[in-house]
Amino acid sequence: MEQFIYYLKVSFKGIKRAPLPYALTIFILSVGLGVFFANATFYYQLNSDPMPHKSDKLFFPMMLLAPYTCTDCKPPRVLSYSNIEKLSQSDIPSAKTAMYSAGGYMRLNASQPALPVSIRITQRDFFSMFEVPLLHGTIWPDNNARHEIILSKATAEKLFGRTDVIGEKLLLDDRHLTVTGVLDDWQMLPRLYDANNRNHLSPVEDVYLPLETGYDMNYLSNTQSQTFDQTDYRQLSTQGRTGALHQLQYWVQLDTPAQQQAYQQFMANLVQDEKAAGRHPSEANNQLIPMRNIVNYFGGDSTDIKAFALVTLLFLLVCLFNASHLSLNRYLGNQYEFSLRRALGASRAQLQLQMLADVILMAVFTITGALITAYGGIKLMNQLLPSNRLFSSWDLTLLLSLLGIAFVCSYLVTLYPSLRASFGNLNQQLKE
Amino acid sequence: MITLTNLGKVFRTELIETHALREVNLQVNEGEFAALTGPSGSGKSTLLNILGTLESFDSGDYQLDGKSVKGLSDAALSKLRNEKIGFIFQSFNLIKDFSIYDNIELPLRYRGLNAAARKQRIEQALELVGLHARRDYLPGQLSGGQQQRVAIARAIAGEPRILLADEPTGNLDSLMARQVMELLEQINQQGCTILMVTHDPDQARRAGRNIQIIDGQLHDSTMYDPLAAQSA
Ligand SMILES: Nc1ncnc2c1ncn2[C@@H]1O[C@H](COP(=O)(O)OP(=O)(O)OP(=O)(O)O)[C@@H](O)[C@H]1O
Ligand SMILES: [Mg+2]
Repeated sequence: MEQFIYYLKVSFKGIKRAPLPYALTIFILSVGLGVFFANATFYYQLNSDPMPHKSDKLFFPMMLLAPYTCTDCKPPRVLSYSNIEKLSQSDIPSAKTAMYSAGGYMRLNASQPALPVSIRITQRDFFSMFEVPLLHGTIWPDNNARHEIILSKATAEKLFGRTDVIGEKLLLDDRHLTVTGVLDDWQMLPRLYDANNRNHLSPVEDVYLPLETGYDMNYLSNTQSQTFDQTDYRQLSTQGRTGALHQLQYWVQLDTPAQQQAYQQFMANLVQDEKAAGRHPSEANNQLIPMRNIVNYFGGDSTDIKAFALVTLLFLLVCLFNASHLSLNRYLGNQYEFSLRRALGASRAQLQLQMLADVILMAVFTITGALITAYGGIKLMNQLLPSNRLFSSWDLTLLLSLLGIAFVCSYLVTLYPSLRASFGNLNQQLKE
Repeated sequence: MITLTNLGKVFRTELIETHALREVNLQVNEGEFAALTGPSGSGKSTLLNILGTLESFDSGDYQLDGKSVKGLSDAALSKLRNEKIGFIFQSFNLIKDFSIYDNIELPLRYRGLNAAARKQRIEQALELVGLHARRDYLPGQLSGGQQQRVAIARAIAGEPRILLADEPTGNLDSLMARQVMELLEQINQQGCTILMVTHDPDQARRAGRNIQIIDGQLHDSTMYDPLAAQSA
């Protein structure tokens, strides 16, 4: 140990001898690793499971119940109101919710300027299925239409300047609603329930409206709606409920494999009945997608993100290359000292220990620099892409992997120079 | 203690081959003070480096204390350098930002001695070269002669049995050179074998033995005969 402290002291002397190239090496490595860290954090969060204890129990059913004939086609990504009516009849799931999202304007009274809000139009079970915390009030007791609205905490604060606003009235697109609930702080990341619309990287919605009320108020989905017949989408509350207007996401909670099997059977039977009734001519294509697979299933890994990851990786390589080069020069400048140490009886193993001290010092500096850069980078990313405001936390696994990578990079940067120095010709430098 | 038999060394570059040493036979006994002289480029430094195991050789054999150094591992060679051999260079080769004390400590560090043992040896060596008062100075704060004495202290702190000195006075004026010579003689009298490269005929004369190298070949005033050694 005493010897290792000595090695550290020698490393420090080496740094003091040429502080500028050393600082530059650290700087380059820190920037390269910092950018890489920021991107890795982003990527890691993107692919993380927001509900690891439950994600294997939540499923996204899809059925080809549309009035067209085709073979080998995929079911539409969203269902129609009448599809949902049929699916909802099953009591196999321990929870189920149909939903979609829309946009609207909200204010307290007609004299105020309106605040744009994102609306999740959904059903009662949504809040328990996705573990949404409630701060004040209650969730709707059933799935009936009601002129009631649930606000996110931030929206309540923005609108009223406080959160305890149960019973307050407000206007959503100039229709009167009563606040019956205020959510606590909540973010689901990634927001997998919206992955079928490839919209899982956005923040959660501002306000929550009962599905039936949404239809009554003629809200059309702002992410995905398709009509497969003559339905007039402007008549959502009437034709929209009966026609082939597809815009609904449907989620069910199936706790056991037996339930999952039973539900699949239920879906098969349902399709069978539809065909027997002569309604939906296409071949059956039922899907029951677990939440864990949903991003994959819908190809939500965006190529932009992949390209960006590749770029940061290349950038890291370039930084590594430059840092190695700098560090090689530094070591070549010191090579005479290596030869001297060898002449005085240091073995290669002992020189490698000296290197290890160098590596550890460099790793400490680089890690500090990289974490600062990464932190700044993440903050910047969150500023530039407000919808990704959420990608800012490091958990232990991620942090440890990042530190490991930084250490390996520091090692790589000193490895080649150190090998060259300790295997180089011994006597040459001592002559001058 | 040192036996070279038909030792040869060739430097190969893309353009030329230099036979730096050919068929060198040499026996150096314990306690000798031998001066190595010869024209520039004749192979003196090469020979010294081979003796110090800093350089490999191409043919023949080198036995130190009856054991060939050929095929020894890096660790074994390092140990040998560390414990048996001390080096003194023309350009001192002190580490500029290490104190005198730290410079002398270097070889002892690699031997794994504890702090107390290191301190004792360093103080002893400093005493011998008469620089005890300057132990915390940096090399740059000393004169050339003093620096070379520090280098000598470093070389002998590990109590080596052989001291290899490559033009130790080459960078010094005559007064300082004489001091260094006297120091080396004193060390030799304590039983350390010394091989010293020098261009100074006076110094060569003061050494007990004179070995001349010309064009990579030895001309020894006390020539070593391998046949005689074998029959003995
Ligand atoms: N690393 C090397 N590569 C190629 N040739 C070398 C190398 N080292 C020495 N030589 C050659 O070997 C020969 C002997 O060199 P050496 O350094 O031993 O001479 P020297 O007697 O010490 O000379 P000087 O008195 O000038 O120091 C010279 O011709 C030199 O050019
Ligand atoms: Mg020479």
